[in-house]
Amino acid sequence: MEIMTAFAIGLTFGVGLFQILRRNVIRAAIGLMLLANAVNLFILSTGAYTGREAPYAGIAAGTFSDALPQALILTAIVISFGVTAFVLAMLFVIARRYDTCDGDAIDGLKN
Amino acid sequence: MLIDHLVILPVINPLAGGLIALMFKRHPRAQSWVAMGAMTAGFACTAGLLFVVWRSGQPVVLQVGGWSAPFGITLIADLLSAMFVLMSQFVLVMGVLYATGSKDSCVQYPTFYPLFLFLATGLTGALLTGDIFNLFVFVELLAISSTVLTAISDDRYGTEAAYKYFYMSQIAAILLLLSIGALYVSCGTLNMAQLAAAIAADPQQSLLPLAVAFLMASFMIKSATFPFHFWQPDFHTAAPTPVSAMLSSVVVKLGVYGFIRMTTLLFVDYIAPMQHTLIVLGVAGICFGGISAIGTHDVKRMLAYSTLAQVGFVLVGIGWGTPLALTAALVFAFNHSIAKSAMLMLAGFVASRASVKSAAFDVVTGVGKPLPLAGVLFFIGGLGLAGIPPTNGFISKMLLFKSGLEAEQIWALLLIGLASTLTMIYTTRAFMRIWWTSPADRISTKPTGDRLYAPLLLVVMILILGLFADPLVALSRETARWLGNPEIYIRAVLGG
Repeated sequence: MEIMTAFAIGLTFGVGLFQILRRNVIRAAIGLMLLANAVNLFILSTGAYTGREAPYAGIAAGTFSDALPQALILTAIVISFGVTAFVLAMLFVIARRYDTCDGDAIDGLKN
Repeated sequence: MLIDHLVILPVINPLAGGLIALMFKRHPRAQSWVAMGAMTAGFACTAGLLFVVWRSGQPVVLQVGGWSAPFGITLIADLLSAMFVLMSQFVLVMGVLYATGSKDSCVQYPTFYPLFLFLATGLTGALLTGDIFNLFVFVELLAISSTVLTAISDDRYGTEAAYKYFYMSQIAAILLLLSIGALYVSCGTLNMAQLAAAIAADPQQSLLPLAVAFLMASFMIKSATFPFHFWQPDFHTAAPTPVSAMLSSVVVKLGVYGFIRMTTLLFVDYIAPMQHTLIVLGVAGICFGGISAIGTHDVKRMLAYSTLAQVGFVLVGIGWGTPLALTAALVFAFNHSIAKSAMLMLAGFVASRASVKSAAFDVVTGVGKPLPLAGVLFFIGGLGLAGIPPTNGFISKMLLFKSGLEAEQIWALLLIGLASTLTMIYTTRAFMRIWWTSPADRISTKPTGDRLYAPLLLVVMILILGLFADPLVALSRETARWLGNPEIYIRAVLGG
């Protein structure tokens, strides 16, 4: 199971990086979302295999799952949600101003 | 203890100010007063905090919510944090002051001041926190608010620059999260003091080199170190003047702070590869930044490239790593923040008086003729960047070169000595273009523009820090002594 998760996370990272390097800015935004999810899965997996019980007081050590990574992901998900919304808002402005989705055509700052 | 709560005030003040300013969204005037009040109060609290830390000789630690160290979030102000926060808050107060006198239309935008204050919150919080995940949250707050501030800029390429920066800052955030995950697997904690103790106890963990590499890359993007700098000139040029003065002076110092923490607290066992990387990239940045600054066609862009070079000096100081070199790096970071923010504000002032609102050399040539005061300030600021006495830049460069001689790094010293003369070339050239050359066709200078109070105060500060450098140097020397002994930090957080 661990090895499957590892491959799945790696694959998500790979696809995300590939998409973020594409010329189409919408694909790049999707790549950013995939990367954020991949890194969340990575943090989840750091605490996923320590045990199966919910961490209440009075449970023997070593049998409960680590709750801290889940708390971290909760924060990271909220942040990445805001990030995604903001990226899409910026894409909306850019698409209207430059009339294109091609990243190479957005070159007003080329000095 | 009650005095411990002093450490949270520099974070709470801008945060509360931002929320209050949001309520006054129909009254930009009231918003600017709220922002000014919150930032000034934050600055006063920071000064008090630094005083307490200095007098008591130990860090001020607050366990937020009363949860003891490894379980709750720790806020800690040792001398390094307190000094960096003092520097940031001073420059941020000046930024608000400049914004209140600015003619930009984005300053009237109802969320301008709240965003500015959230930027201040993110920066201060990231410097004061003792928890590495909390650092990530504050860094995200900083990145998002600075991106929005650039996206609403008057500059028509603001959104494009913001888009570019946002992707880079998100990559940096993802690298930071990966590093946090790797550190958590290795050490089972996120508290920086406990991490430092755990890493020192067992430095051979297999995931640790990975964490070091990711954290380095993340801070390199944040501080716009040489190969990761490509977004920085665009972003700092397109931002509104009060914001770009913050970004190019204090926000890049967050990465510098991260490097200092990494080399002196967290990864003391991996210090050699980190230091070599910092020296090589710092020297490369100094040379590349200086040469690029000479080749630019825009005053703001020139100053942005100059930041690349000046941050390189700081990195080289951290890379040499001797107590004197660390002192020099701290003094350099402090002085550069003040000089660079003053210069960017003056560039923005000139642009606000030009016929088209732009800082391109074609537009601003000869605009300075009726503005002698701004000319004097720009000249002194240029001397400060180039390191000519009686300005503060001289003190920082002299200390750095002296520490290089002591560390016997002759080649690096020779290269950065040569490259630092480039500073003189580009600042003088900009000065001559704006204040001495006659305009090509009779472009009239606009009668009104931004106010000069903030750059005036900053330039006075440049001169004060150049003539009375002792307090700052003594503070930096004491800070470097603390940095040489990470036990102080660890014991303050974990007790015992």
